[in-house]
Amino acid sequence: MTPLAGIGARRRRSDRVARTMLAVATGLALVPLVLILFYLVKQGLGAWSPSFFTTDPSGRFLGDPGGIRSAILGTIEIVALASAIAIPAGIGVALYLVEYGRDGRFATAVRYFVDVMTGVPSIAFGLFIYITLVLATGFGGFAGWKGSLALALLMLPIVTRSAEVALTLVPESLREAALALGAPRWRVVARVVLPTALPGLVTGVLLAVARAAGETAPLLFTATIVKETTANLAAPMNSLPAQIFSDVGQAQDRLVARAWGAALTLVVMILVLTTLARLVSRRSRIA
Amino acid sequence: MSFQPAKTGMTDPPRTTHPTAAPTPAVSSGLGDRRAQTRARSVTLRNLHAYYGDQHAVNGVWLEFPANEVTAIIGPSGCGKSTMVRCINRMHEEVPGARAVGTVLLDDLDIYGDGTDVVAVRRAVGMVFQKPNPFPTMSVFDNVAAGLRLTGTRGSELRDRVEHSLKAAGLWDEVHGRLAQPGIGLSGGQQQRLCIARTLAVEPEVILMDEPCSALDPVATLKIEELVAELSRRYTIVVVTHNMQQAARVADSTAFMLNGELVEHGPTGRMFTNPGDPRTEQYVTGKFG
Amino acid sequence: MPEARAHFRSELQNLEEMALGALDMVISTLDRALEALEHQDVELASLVIADDDRIDGRYLEVHQGILSLLATQAPVATDLRTVAALMHVIKHVERMGDQCVNIAKLIPLSGHHPPVDEAIIERIEKMGRLARSQVSQAKQAFALRDAALAEDLARQDRQVNRLNREIFAAALELGEDSDAREWAAYMMLVARCLERIGDNAVDIGEQTAFVVTGLFREFSDASHAAPR
Repeated sequence: MTPLAGIGARRRRSDRVARTMLAVATGLALVPLVLILFYLVKQGLGAWSPSFFTTDPSGRFLGDPGGIRSAILGTIEIVALASAIAIPAGIGVALYLVEYGRDGRFATAVRYFVDVMTGVPSIAFGLFIYITLVLATGFGGFAGWKGSLALALLMLPIVTRSAEVALTLVPESLREAALALGAPRWRVVARVVLPTALPGLVTGVLLAVARAAGETAPLLFTATIVKETTANLAAPMNSLPAQIFSDVGQAQDRLVARAWGAALTLVVMILVLTTLARLVSRRSRIA
Repeated sequence: MSFQPAKTGMTDPPRTTHPTAAPTPAVSSGLGDRRAQTRARSVTLRNLHAYYGDQHAVNGVWLEFPANEVTAIIGPSGCGKSTMVRCINRMHEEVPGARAVGTVLLDDLDIYGDGTDVVAVRRAVGMVFQKPNPFPTMSVFDNVAAGLRLTGTRGSELRDRVEHSLKAAGLWDEVHGRLAQPGIGLSGGQQQRLCIARTLAVEPEVILMDEPCSALDPVATLKIEELVAELSRRYTIVVVTHNMQQAARVADSTAFMLNGELVEHGPTGRMFTNPGDPRTEQYVTGKFG
Repeated sequence: MPEARAHFRSELQNLEEMALGALDMVISTLDRALEALEHQDVELASLVIADDDRIDGRYLEVHQGILSLLATQAPVATDLRTVAALMHVIKHVERMGDQCVNIAKLIPLSGHHPPVDEAIIERIEKMGRLARSQVSQAKQAFALRDAALAEDLARQDRQVNRLNREIFAAALELGEDSDAREWAAYMMLVARCLERIGDNAVDIGEQTAFVVTGLFREFSDASHAAPR
């Protein structure tokens, strides 16, 4: 019995060492995360007030700096338009890849390019729209919708990839069952595949939206930054990332504080979106 | 090339009354309201070949499935029985790179003929799969109604047909109190009967069953076997099965396939007491590994 | 490659050996019964009677084995026909054993009278030899699955039947003496037992043909007039 006892003790020791190392690594990874959240809340919460959300930035360096209303509304408008463009397009491409293209040569090429697009830095999208739509004469200057376009380009590969995964997860047996009942393929997609993949699709879409809401670089070159709340997407429009970018560099403490407040707001908005995504995906599960 | 009858004990398929030289009409035009009639269509395979790319999965099969009878297809794994059966409702061609060559007749309509509507063929030839596959986002009622909604059936007629199908599948008593609940909440055996009800709702003439009981427990299996016997009064049924005892219990005639070919076909009793082909004898007595 | 269903094969083989082995038992029992008859040996006769328990025991063993095999292995095709045939074979074996017992029982009864008619005795002995050969041939035919050899049993059986008729006719001729007639009557009964043994052997032959061809056919029906 003694040899068995010896082996056991040795194994328990190495097990403990491994566990400790893993705990340390996890702790190390969590520390910056916790620090960020802590700082955000500490610095940002102070800037929050009712007027913070209901007034526009005043543009004044002295006196009342104003709130971030135009930034919040601007973000919502720009991201909404970007989503309206990117979501149908992204799901459409995913549908093509999964239902019709499958392993064909063209489909494989499309998949490759989508993969490449996910790796393109967001500033490149901004620059692309800047050069083609902002600088080029006859198109006017900065505008909210141009920012939406840049964000849509950013969102498109994300939506496509996650939608493709969600659609692929739908078991082939369901498609077969629907086809065998005598349904044309488009009906099978519309009535069976899409409803079944819906939770996954929604999750992917919400995550893409959350990502787009936080991107700064594309907006700097396209929608730029203004002070007033405007509903006119054809004119320059404010947004949270742009506002933060502008405020952070200022000397005035109150402006910097406003930047923190805006950052916290943005994080909270994204948190809400991701929580929604998780709830949706948890509620319905594919058998 | 002369017509080659299947082996021992099998009579020639009935001569058709229409000359086969003329192109056969689209299947959809030959299908009317089935509720009044009880005689189903027969299925005839003539020199059927099926391929997955270069792989020759079904090699020259001549076989008849008489109307209102249950025919079992037995054979070892990979012998091509599932592939052959999927050619009958043209599901085989849904696999990328797959194709089928030859003639498949529903009575005298060639389902591979020019101008045949694949969708109409699949409405006339229903299929029940090995693993029960009710639509997960739909309730029990919606599952059964799924096929009907595709043809535009609505309202009270829809409800009647759903109830009728569930009764025909022997499931009505167990689910009529929870039609709105998700289809996937039922037990395995109930799910399979739900899939059968879904298939019945579209009122096919032929029902193909690809190992319908292999995922079920013995009690559920028995219920489905009894259901098959009951259904054969109104439909022509083809059952692919690994389980020879099941073929023996359920089928009027049995066909044995090996390596993509039809080896022997005859009345079930004879196939299991005195088969003609030595390969059948070997398979049936378990001398195959 | 290990043979498929090896356990089932060996069980079926075992059952067949037990059933055919019982035929050997019948042969030895028949030998002793005939010997007891020849020498009027009452003790040997009672031994034969007692020994029938062995054959009956073997019948129960095989019967139970068949039921068990049917329930657990679900034999089909040739295997099924073999199992069904073995069921019939063992029944015929048991009957043959009973016929030997009947012969043995007749010995003490006929023993008081000295043998009277040579012709009858000669024919009884000949019937005994033929019956014995029929049993042996039935066993061989089944073991080898030889349908032709099985059909030949019918030919031998016709001889046995002929001898039986001759004994019957000869017995009727023995008019003079009541003792002689009594002895002749017992001999007729012995002949009848031997004839029944022959019939059972033919039945076993029919089972052999059934296993081989899948068709059950009577070789020569008692209700039809046999040729010659």
